[in-house]
Amino acid sequence: MIIKDVLCPFCGCLCDDLAVEVENNKVVDVKHACKIGASKIMGHDRIKAPMMRDDKNGEFREVSYDEAINESAKILANSKRPLLYGWASGVCEMMKKGVLLNEEVGGIIDNTASVCHGPSALGVHEKGLPTGTLGQFANRSDLVVFWGCNPVQAHPRHMSRYSVFNKGFFTAKGRKSRKVVVFDVRKTDTAEMADEYVQVNPGEDYLVISALRAVVADKADVVPDSVGGVPKEKLVELGEAMKGAKYGMVYFGMGLTQSRGKYKNIDNAVSLITELNAHGKHSILPMRGHYNVTGFGQVCAWETGFANAVDMSRGIPYYNPGETCSNDLLMREEIDAAMVIAGDAGAHFPAQSIARMGKVPVIQVDPFHNPTTEMANIVIPTKVSGVELEGTAYRMDAVSLRMRKLVDVDFPSDEEVLDKIIAKIREIKGASS
Amino acid sequence: MSEMRIKNATVYDPINGINGDLMDIAVKDGKIVDSVGGSAQTIDAGGRLVYPGGVDAHTHIAGSKVNVGRIMRPDDSRLNNKPRTKVTRPRTGYTVPNVYSMGYGYAEMGYTTAFEAAVPILKARHTHEELEEIPILDKAGLTLFGSNWMVMDAIREDDLDRLAAYVAWGLLASRGWGIKIVNPGGGEAWGFGKNVSGLDDPVPNFEVTPRQIVRQLAEANEKLNLPHSIHLHCNNLGKPGNYETTLATFDVCKDIKSKRDRQSLHVTHVQFNAWGGNHWGDIESKSEPIADYLNKNDFLTIDMGQLVFGSATTMTADGPVQYANARLLKARWSNGDVELEDSSGVTPLEYHPQSYIHGIMWAIGLELALLTKDPWKVLMTTDHPNGGPYVNYPMVMTMLMSKKRREKEMEKIAELTFDRTSIAGIDRELDWYDIAIKTRAAHAKVQGIIELGKGHLGVGADADIAIYDIKPDETDATVEFDKVEAAFRHAAYTIKGGEIVVKDGEITATPKGRTYWVKATAPADGHERMMEDLKMKFKKYYSVNMANYMVQDEYVEHPYVFETGYQ
Amino acid sequence: MQTVTLVPKEQFKISVEAETITPDNFAGKSADEIGAVVAYEGNAPRPLSELFEISVDGSADAADDVKIEINGNVNRVKRIGEAMTAGLIMINGDVDMRCGAKMKGGTITIKGNADSWVGQEMTGGEINVQGDASYYVGAGYRGEACGMRGGKITVFGNANDFVGEHMCGGEIVIKGNAGIMPGVSNKGGKIVIGGDTDMPGSEMTKGTIIVKGKVKDMMPVYQKEGIESVDGEEFTKYVGDVVVDGVGELFVK
Repeated sequence: MIIKDVLCPFCGCLCDDLAVEVENNKVVDVKHACKIGASKIMGHDRIKAPMMRDDKNGEFREVSYDEAINESAKILANSKRPLLYGWASGVCEMMKKGVLLNEEVGGIIDNTASVCHGPSALGVHEKGLPTGTLGQFANRSDLVVFWGCNPVQAHPRHMSRYSVFNKGFFTAKGRKSRKVVVFDVRKTDTAEMADEYVQVNPGEDYLVISALRAVVADKADVVPDSVGGVPKEKLVELGEAMKGAKYGMVYFGMGLTQSRGKYKNIDNAVSLITELNAHGKHSILPMRGHYNVTGFGQVCAWETGFANAVDMSRGIPYYNPGETCSNDLLMREEIDAAMVIAGDAGAHFPAQSIARMGKVPVIQVDPFHNPTTEMANIVIPTKVSGVELEGTAYRMDAVSLRMRKLVDVDFPSDEEVLDKIIAKIREIKGASS
Repeated sequence: MSEMRIKNATVYDPINGINGDLMDIAVKDGKIVDSVGGSAQTIDAGGRLVYPGGVDAHTHIAGSKVNVGRIMRPDDSRLNNKPRTKVTRPRTGYTVPNVYSMGYGYAEMGYTTAFEAAVPILKARHTHEELEEIPILDKAGLTLFGSNWMVMDAIREDDLDRLAAYVAWGLLASRGWGIKIVNPGGGEAWGFGKNVSGLDDPVPNFEVTPRQIVRQLAEANEKLNLPHSIHLHCNNLGKPGNYETTLATFDVCKDIKSKRDRQSLHVTHVQFNAWGGNHWGDIESKSEPIADYLNKNDFLTIDMGQLVFGSATTMTADGPVQYANARLLKARWSNGDVELEDSSGVTPLEYHPQSYIHGIMWAIGLELALLTKDPWKVLMTTDHPNGGPYVNYPMVMTMLMSKKRREKEMEKIAELTFDRTSIAGIDRELDWYDIAIKTRAAHAKVQGIIELGKGHLGVGADADIAIYDIKPDETDATVEFDKVEAAFRHAAYTIKGGEIVVKDGEITATPKGRTYWVKATAPADGHERMMEDLKMKFKKYYSVNMANYMVQDEYVEHPYVFETGYQ
Repeated sequence: MQTVTLVPKEQFKISVEAETITPDNFAGKSADEIGAVVAYEGNAPRPLSELFEISVDGSADAADDVKIEINGNVNRVKRIGEAMTAGLIMINGDVDMRCGAKMKGGTITIKGNADSWVGQEMTGGEINVQGDASYYVGAGYRGEACGMRGGKITVFGNANDFVGEHMCGGEIVIKGNAGIMPGVSNKGGKIVIGGDTDMPGSEMTKGTIIVKGKVKDMMPVYQKEGIESVDGEEFTKYVGDVVVDGVGELFVK
């Protein structure tokens, strides 16, 4: 049986044109997806049953779901500063339960954006975000800038579906309808195929962006001969090209969010785009990583008013990245219990954070073994969202779509597990609030 | 089976012509009935003011734009914070409340129904995700059609049946209630950073004019016999001198007739479109010609878009205006182009009484309401959160009821305002009946939901009832405006579908409301032509497959489907 | 004069939120009453008597006559002195984030180091950090137009990034080095940096920044004016940030 119009549960492209062949309740083939997307849908070894261990260096013993859930509830209910982290590989329906769980336990809920595009949100608080849906860019942009991102590697179908190769209403010539420019500290695969590659000195993107803003504002005379490793003539040329674009696009990634200045790079880039809108039409878009990391930001924002890093210890949502993000807290050794769900702290956190997690009870809710499993005390396997479970996800441009269920499995969903943990915590804490 | 009786209610129910009668209201199974038995739960209103539950025909409460506002504004989310209670979730936000606060805030004021004013079809799923989370209220969304490629292509090819078929399909795809048009054609021009300058300025690359868009969508609206009329945000909003565009736009629909007992055109937040002068220096109020037009014509209705001093977060589908505001004020700016469909922009700003421009805007909203003789023609709104947050409705109500209250506000407003407006000289003070019209009855009539049991307290209506701590006969609203405002701010009782949800201004229950949407049938051949065009657009231009595009049943958990058909 | 002495009973790991430790809140209270005041350790409310040894000497009617001495490391106690209007807080140790946030008046002296956001959104009063400060000295809250509006913060050691971010008024003196982007998005106020810094005054529209040490990277958006003397010292004066039509003054050695 071939299931069409399947959405890929891997990256922020959220490609929705996949065709998946299912035989005897098993995925046997995936068409149209990129390699990494196909691999996720094809599936691989998974955690077979819930397991627990007191000693993180010891062996896991298999337990029932009830036992794992009840123990998890006890740990979280008795914590003073629990962290609920991950979320980005799940569907929105379970994220709402996460927000509720965080309320129950008075802890911090945070998602993978903390180590990824969290700075982009901070940039948005400063300046906003002039953007649109991917189809708008696909149909219109004649100048495409990739800044500090490498879609050839990280978002393999982005360029053919949305940004560079597709033929749109106003971009009927496909690749020839656009000029592609890459700003990066090294010549990436994306830079290799661009029309122009601009090398920026590591950590100096902020200066280059400011210089471009000066060019756009007709104040190039104060710009020195070279900024961030880019000669002034080149900056003037690029600034003028951007000004002359009919629809200029900037896609950006970790090269900006994680280099010196972090969120300031984003807020500066947003200002550049805003100022360019006085000349032509321009938009900017963060290249979100996980397929539903955007979804967490949306859910958390409508539920609490803030997109991530929400601290509920005082009974009202408090948000302050630098103070309430996962790594802020872990590196200060504040967290006394952690749940990692639909995310992989073990793979992405700095060593100091991992060291702290090594000292406190860690509950992992995930279908798969990953580095987080190494530091977990309780492991609760669940359905693979988007393959074994349907639900809502938000693409990198914040368009919400519904993931399909392709096969049936006998695992609970993340949402079911969260519901049970919440119920148990309420029991433990009594009926009062 | 649950029965309730409210006795000694001083009822204002304009749809049924009840003007301050002391009476009892009987409720059974969530509806108003003739009478109930002796064992019914009894509330003694003690002669206090009773209105049908409030209805807000135009507000921005759910979806992409609202969430953009939240994400952009931690500075807003840190305001109005309340911890959870046994019954409520934590609350945050003033201009962009979180979903829980959004519902509780309305219910606390005695409101029970609200219309999300602008839903982009591609992002309608998001709107419904948020609507589902908003507690208590019954709600609906108005779907954006005014800059849509399918719409413009059908209009250019003069194919009204195809246009109507697309509207029907679009309402289904978005689970929408009616046709919303924002800056017709401008959303497409904004796709390349341009705008349309007026009704007859053709949309670049599409060769249709805003006039044609408005006219044909109005015709399609009536062909489909939709419950609501087209709902229109005019071109040139926010530009000095725009009142001429507004009056010309009214004329476009002058001869459109509806089979339903309602207007053929609803123009929204007209305050922002009633400006005279040529630039910011000589801007003045043109509420008089607008009110004059309303006094002479019965085919249209408007809502105020009243300005409230203080913080606001502007959010509309009028991309060009939002950018212009942001540039002018050097404010934060989020833009949201929606492929093939429309645009949007979100910009936070502050309204200052010492700015004469803001003073003029403040005056215009009130003038529109007070100079238009028939209270049914001008709904009270603030275009939340554009003019100001909805929690300020009680204050606006008192300004309509009391000249003294207006004068008190005027004391802090820049003097120049009064050379450019007529508000200072207006003596009219609306009474309890007028306010009931402007905050529930007219909203329900305009939206076509009276027959659904909304906006009134007649037998068969939904038991959505608000009891306020005011004895109308003993209260002089023209002087006791602080008391009146406080009473409207915290209802003594809000009853939703027969259940008490607010008591003494506190939330007591949080049932989930319904989502109203329209399922319209279009003629088969028009539908066929439409689908051909639509499939082509999905194949070539949309970034989403058609099979994944439409809002699925899962997103509307408590639907009320209104069926209607092609005439 | 009422002197309240607090000695932490333990080295807190999980941060304690103690916005209730202010002269305003302690004025006229006995040791028992102060002991009953609640602070939060994570999500757990704890009376101050559980967290500190408390002694009270003398009495006061109002905050301006109150002195609070904290003897010991409170590097995990946040929000001390929040919104205080008068009086004195002396911290003989390190202090955690948001110390003196929204301060209106009075004085806070920190003998050790201060964590991030010391003096956040301050409108008046004085904060002295004898050790080092961390990020966001005298800065604002996410999304707010203004951070510090008035008062004075002096850091005798070094400070980290974003000193005086979104400053609208007041004065910040960093005797040592500052991290990147001091004075970013300033609309007023004065920042003096005794040591080195990097990318000062980005997007400044108004205000003054004086750097006595070295600037690693100058923002490429400043107009050089010439040599000018400030308090007897010679600097190169720049005006900008030109991109935002800024008239901020940047003095660099």
